[in-house]
Amino acid sequence: MSKVNTVLGTIPAEELGVVAVHEHIGYGMPGSELDSKWWKTPEQRYEETVPKLRAFHEYGGGTFVDVTGICNGRDVDYYKSLSAKTGVHIVACTGFVGGDTALPHFARASVDYLTRQFVSEITVGIGDTGSRAGVIKVGVSRGGRMTELDKRIYRAAARAALTTGVPIMTHLAIDAETAIAIFSEEGLPLDRVLFGHADDGVNAEKTRDTWIAEQGGRVGFDTFGYETELEDPPFWARPRKERLDHFLRFIGQGHLDKVLASADANCSPLGWPGVKGHTVNYVFEDLIPDLREAGVDEATITTIFVDNPADFLTIRT
Amino acid sequence: MTDARTAPSRSVNTVLGPVPADDLGVVSVHEALLSVVPGAEHAYDITIDRAEVFEVLAKKLTDFRNAGGGTIVDSTGMFYGRDVRLYEALSRSTGVHVVASTGMGPEEMLGGYFLTPQTNPPTPWPAERFADLFSQEVSEGMVVPRVERRGGAGLVATTATREGMTATDESLFRGAARAARDTGVPVSIRFGADAVHDLEVVLSEQLPADRVVVGGLDRRDAVDAGAPLEVARRGAYVALDHVGSDSVDRDDDDAHLTDRERAALVVELVQAGHADRILLSSNAIGVAVGQPAYDLPFSHVCSTFVPFAKSLGLSDEDARRILVGNPRDLLTVR
Ligand SMILES: [Zn+2]
Repeated sequence: MSKVNTVLGTIPAEELGVVAVHEHIGYGMPGSELDSKWWKTPEQRYEETVPKLRAFHEYGGGTFVDVTGICNGRDVDYYKSLSAKTGVHIVACTGFVGGDTALPHFARASVDYLTRQFVSEITVGIGDTGSRAGVIKVGVSRGGRMTELDKRIYRAAARAALTTGVPIMTHLAIDAETAIAIFSEEGLPLDRVLFGHADDGVNAEKTRDTWIAEQGGRVGFDTFGYETELEDPPFWARPRKERLDHFLRFIGQGHLDKVLASADANCSPLGWPGVKGHTVNYVFEDLIPDLREAGVDEATITTIFVDNPADFLTIRT
Repeated sequence: MTDARTAPSRSVNTVLGPVPADDLGVVSVHEALLSVVPGAEHAYDITIDRAEVFEVLAKKLTDFRNAGGGTIVDSTGMFYGRDVRLYEALSRSTGVHVVASTGMGPEEMLGGYFLTPQTNPPTPWPAERFADLFSQEVSEGMVVPRVERRGGAGLVATTATREGMTATDESLFRGAARAARDTGVPVSIRFGADAVHDLEVVLSEQLPADRVVVGGLDRRDAVDAGAPLEVARRGAYVALDHVGSDSVDRDDDDAHLTDRERAALVVELVQAGHADRILLSSNAIGVAVGQPAYDLPFSHVCSTFVPFAKSLGLSDEDARRILVGNPRDLLTVR
């Protein structure tokens, strides 16, 4: 049986539909909750979020994977209500966006403890929500190289992935040699790992995307829409055509089965202004039309947005 | 600053609002009510039962009150489990005044929002931003994160890294000092490697020395360096705030003086003319989450330690000054 953990329970992978594999309902760095400049009323949060999820659903979107890590404002009860009311499946994660988003309790923890944390959130539930995590988030701290804490988190994630069958998603795919060494040492097949943000404006040049695919890893072009053409682009933005060409080139090199795509947007950001005009629906409003225009056929589009994510997200037992 | 129309003229910010400074009674300036290591609230193996926490804390506060205590200062800052609404309920039900603090530190205890912000490069926060954050907690109220603000903080508390102040610790110290200077509440500093150096950092922000309490001055290395006397000479408050540490079983318990040595230090400071600069506290933790318990009655200072110090020659008048007068002067909003 093919199963995926969503915030409302286990569903068959066949039900996932079109998946936005790397998204955020709302993201904030740990501590941002103390700064009232970012606070929003619950009305405002629902008002910013619900129409985006409803549009996503109407466009044919099936599943929204929220990869907001443990200390970044992940709010599973809220996700449950959003999912139930909009009909969008929401997958929540365990893990951390990077060592620099793990608060002291976890930053001081051993690999064993971190493993137990992840396994518990995947098999028992996140906090007292009863919702089980469907993916494990890990990532590279700011600075370009994996820190000692990042490495501890990667190793714990590998062990939790092996124990539970849930896959791993990374924030950034730089320093991939170090990451792959850890996954190999732990005996985790690399198709259980999505190396994310291979396409962002700051890191694309430094990311060995084809090498990762050759090792068997999956590669995420998952910051689609963070474009220099935006009114107020973030520092990781990239010219639209450059990213699209990069994506098409990668697929053209025979790596279609390894690729996943998403927009990494915030429905309602928690601790930063967000990026005006950028939503998860970039996938439907811009990306898929761009792919069609570039001559990509429907079967390929289905592979990217339906089959690959289903294969990736299915709990491997 | 507290609202001049409603605040008594000489008042202290408590979780239930401004209270006349003369009503505080016996004060313990460096204690922790609910203390949660940042992140522990998300741990799979930790549950925090508020009703249970309340029951434990209420019992400890009642015991403190029965021993003659009047006011507990929770000096753990804004990011170590501070629960303002719980403290309001505790204060209402036990009659003990509770002063809560804003501030953060040391660097290791900060969230990534302050250390690696979403900017390129990810430059840690400068002093000015910390000053604004802490000042708002005094003038507009302490945060219940992402929900609301409650009463104003009664002091700004910060701590330096034990091995020595880092650049971010220095920003925290300067920000805390500016917030204290601008709002009129005092600042509490727990030094890193060098008490006098760390004090000088906050004093260099034009904060009068009598608005500063330096914690941890009963640490052996500080005592060996003569820091308690030096801090008092500069006019800051000297907190001997590990009272009872030798009666609690901890790995680091020889890092601090024994109560016998501490009492002798109190007498020595009084004899040197600094009775008006001494504060006593125990850094007890009411409920510890994600860390070992540090289970000492909040009443230890007034029930056990002060009688002992009196037996070594501390006068009743000086004892009263240390327990009541000094903390009142420190906490009074200027
Ligand atoms: Zn992301």
